[in-house]
Amino acid sequence: MTESRSTRILFSRRSVLGMLGTAGVVAAVPGCGSSLGGGGDAGGGGQGGAVKVGLVIPQAGVYAPLGVDMQRGWELYLNQHDGRLGDREVTTVVADEGEGPESGVPAVQRVLQRDRVDVVVGIVNSAVALGAVDAVTSAGKLLVVSNAGAGALTGENRNPLTWRTSFANAQVSSALGDHLAGQNLPGGVYLIAPDYAAGEEALGGFREAFEAGGGRIAGEARTPFGTTQDFQPFLAGIRSSGAAATFCFYAGGEAVSFVQQYDSFGLKQTIPLFGSGFLTEGGVLDAQGAAATGVQTSLHYTTELDNPANTAFIDSYTAANGAAPTVYSVQTYDAAAVLDRAIGQAGDVAGTALSEAMGSLGTIEDSPRGPWTFDGQNPRQTYYLREVRRQGQGYVNAVVADLGEFAQPA
Amino acid sequence: MTPRTTADAAPPSATAAPEPPRRLLRAAPMAATVVLLAAAPLFLAPYATTTLSRILVFALLAASLDLLVGITGLPSLGHAAYFGVGAYAAGWITIHLTPAVPVPLLAGAAFGGVAAAATGWFAVRSAGVFFLMLTLAIGEIVRQVAQSWDSVTGGSNGLYGIDLPSVAGAPLGNVGLLHWYVLAGAVLGYAVLRAVAASPFGAVLRGIRDNEPRMRALGYRPYGYKLAAFVIAGSVAGVAGALLAAQQRLVTPSDLGFTTAALALLAVVIGGAGTLWGPCLGAAVVVLVRDALGPTLDGHGPLLLGVVFIAVVYLLPRGAAGVRLRRGPGREQSEQEPT
Amino acid sequence: MLTWLDANLVSILNGLAIGSLLFILAVGLSLVFGMMDVLNLAHGALFLAGAYLGHLFVGQQAGWASFAGALGVAAVIGALAGGGLSVMTEPLAHRSHLDQALLTLGVALVVAELLSIAFGNDVQSVAAPPGLDGSTVVLGSTYPVYRLVLIGIGALLAVAVHVVIERTRLGLLVRAAVADREMVSALGVDERRVKAAVFGIGSALAMVAGVLGGPIYGARPGLDSTVLILALVVVVIGGLGSVRGALIGALVIGQVESLGRVLLADLASFVLFGALALVLVLRPQGLFGARAQART
Repeated sequence: MTESRSTRILFSRRSVLGMLGTAGVVAAVPGCGSSLGGGGDAGGGGQGGAVKVGLVIPQAGVYAPLGVDMQRGWELYLNQHDGRLGDREVTTVVADEGEGPESGVPAVQRVLQRDRVDVVVGIVNSAVALGAVDAVTSAGKLLVVSNAGAGALTGENRNPLTWRTSFANAQVSSALGDHLAGQNLPGGVYLIAPDYAAGEEALGGFREAFEAGGGRIAGEARTPFGTTQDFQPFLAGIRSSGAAATFCFYAGGEAVSFVQQYDSFGLKQTIPLFGSGFLTEGGVLDAQGAAATGVQTSLHYTTELDNPANTAFIDSYTAANGAAPTVYSVQTYDAAAVLDRAIGQAGDVAGTALSEAMGSLGTIEDSPRGPWTFDGQNPRQTYYLREVRRQGQGYVNAVVADLGEFAQPA
Repeated sequence: MTPRTTADAAPPSATAAPEPPRRLLRAAPMAATVVLLAAAPLFLAPYATTTLSRILVFALLAASLDLLVGITGLPSLGHAAYFGVGAYAAGWITIHLTPAVPVPLLAGAAFGGVAAAATGWFAVRSAGVFFLMLTLAIGEIVRQVAQSWDSVTGGSNGLYGIDLPSVAGAPLGNVGLLHWYVLAGAVLGYAVLRAVAASPFGAVLRGIRDNEPRMRALGYRPYGYKLAAFVIAGSVAGVAGALLAAQQRLVTPSDLGFTTAALALLAVVIGGAGTLWGPCLGAAVVVLVRDALGPTLDGHGPLLLGVVFIAVVYLLPRGAAGVRLRRGPGREQSEQEPT
Repeated sequence: MLTWLDANLVSILNGLAIGSLLFILAVGLSLVFGMMDVLNLAHGALFLAGAYLGHLFVGQQAGWASFAGALGVAAVIGALAGGGLSVMTEPLAHRSHLDQALLTLGVALVVAELLSIAFGNDVQSVAAPPGLDGSTVVLGSTYPVYRLVLIGIGALLAVAVHVVIERTRLGLLVRAAVADREMVSALGVDERRVKAAVFGIGSALAMVAGVLGGPIYGARPGLDSTVLILALVVVVIGGLGSVRGALIGALVIGQVESLGRVLLADLASFVLFGALALVLVLRPQGLFGARAQART
């Protein structure tokens, strides 16, 4: 910067004040926003107009495959319904959640503040979802989480504008804990998960249901999250514990390594492996290959479910995308389905009106996962015991048993 | 020990302070920038203001890292640790004690400084690539603590539901007010860094960076100076962390991870190490590339970031600040900060 | 004591297997640093490229021919990539470690992102060659055959690298360059060619390690930074520029990652960086650092 310009700026305080004044005027002109307004504003929604939805999903990083499935589920529902929800034209703004809150929270802020969406849907990562609650609900908007499983999102201190169409971490594993407690496992069950919040919640849900049913825990381990490539040291611990079965919670790359090594170190034959369904869901199952056969998991969906809604869903999903759906596709498909009804019922897109409508939807009968209802803003749904079996060239999660209906454990 | 005189200890770059009128002129761009930043919420849309606040937070982190990298010659890969410690401390105190300004800011400064002192006493004994590795290890260990210490940090879910900071009992309830708070904190932190860099103490730090044995021969004990710089940088990074907690209302282990540390280092190099203001510009570039441009690349933001890394190393060997300073004759010491 | 040994022998054996792989990965990083003062942060991306190459050639139905083919191609591509990196870092010879680190970090980001564009973000697994893909019983426990073979390969490569460094003319030049770079060029040897050769060999080894590691680690986004950090820890603990240091460092970290996690199960997340910090605090030059690397 040259000296003459600096001088001018320094000595013309009045012109600076003038500039401030101009800015104040500009701010009053519609279109040139100001950041000094109150909390939320009406946005583009209003009565009968179009509805704008922010779909926040990971497009980069380790969770990107989940994001693809979620977006496909969302788009399938809209395509089947003329691009309308509750008989309103829908504009979807997709934002990249990335790998964690450092990119996810700004993405949520962007769809809210820049794109002025009426509803925020999606979110894989629990930390992003928990961080998003404040931003979305303080703007008076509805947040529909279609994956992240943190218990607190729909737990005791839940926010009235936050709903979830997926699951709570502890819910998925409590179904399996309840089931295994009824089996005869004299050696007890060994629990293992990564040392992060979702793993902790999953083990907690399992432990509570399992011990309530009279089961015995043979031992527990936590593996360093995200940096464990080699599970041998922990597998040695499982073997020496004398457990009759193992319950684990892993997803993504760790699910592949764990299942493969559990097999190659010879544990699978002697100590059966059980897990939350994400262990063998979607792309990881292909990578695990033969090592996964016989692994049993609990989840609220599998492509092998035999009901008319699921058959139709799989047909149109596969025709559109050339790939089979996953639980992640179904959860976001259902998010669109409940929004469709809620917007229609409320006749409004304001958070409180939508939230009220969500609470009175009753049972969602035609979901690919089977009928489910909201219970405390989180689905009460049927859980299935699934076993990995070879089918043709690939592997599927076959239904072994119906474990009954479960809501988020208190 | 006391330094004898700054004149004989300091390297040629550390000239005496300019006379008052010149100094005023030199301060003018800075003052203009602050006024412009303060006026921003009046004419910017909320999202643009939020982005600007985020840039300010990251700029303060980058500037505090520059005190280590550019002025003292200690390239740290673990500086995000102190940023994170400050953020957690401020967040925890906001939730459990009070959101009243300036309590969270002071907590961030105090905890950032204490954490830096607790790790710096052995870190600054090493040099070169060993310092890089040791700070990397410290950063990873601190991140791991944040991830494991559920009852205080909330584990991998992070510390969420942090209240808005409040002034005289009233929360800063919109984007513009929050921006002014962040701006005030950032200007305060930056002023501290500038004062340190311009002081005789800062001159000694530059001397250590340029020629440590010579400073030793002159009777200085570099260890004490390096440690002091490390603690000051950690404390200012803690202030930046406290601003992050207020702005993002969420603190997670990734805020003190390697990626944050590497991006801060990138901001320093892009902007020009040793100038303090250069890294702030670098921080703006990094945040804009990551938050504004990255998401439009179909999730391939890291590709662009990688290209920026490579381009900066070849095309801007002294950072953006070097481009300007190299033009003038007799300005060999491009790292010299305009006092 | 005997029962303790009995219970943990498999973990010790496993530590050897992991250590072998780490040695193949880290020795190149160590030599390049020791000789050229270049901290090559793209080393992990080369490993990942090797892993994806293994996936491309071998996939889930391994044959000996395809596995050997993957190893050969990895060595060639790795050598070329190393030569390229050598040329890229040449203009930075007199700049700080930080500039070189940023350049190679940029290369690492670009390579990793291109791999993710080419192969997607799903986890890919790589099968071990036929005959090595099963498990056998060692000391009363089931153990994957492939990991046992890996110990052998690691030992072979360690001997080979040792012979090259200690017995050949190239090795002589490398050792001389580690000790005093200016003197080597003063003697009329084209230092740049030595550097390119070392860079090429180190990078070829990194990619070969990626193929070899495929059956254990698979190939997926993010693997590059995980192995890079392991390799850096190995190199720093062992001391820079020393083949022996890299070998010892790799074996130590192999045990830390294996036995250490069994013995300190509650602190499993802290043992790796705890060990690194401990070594650097006690011996700032690493366990076998020949001299202080105080240059910045």
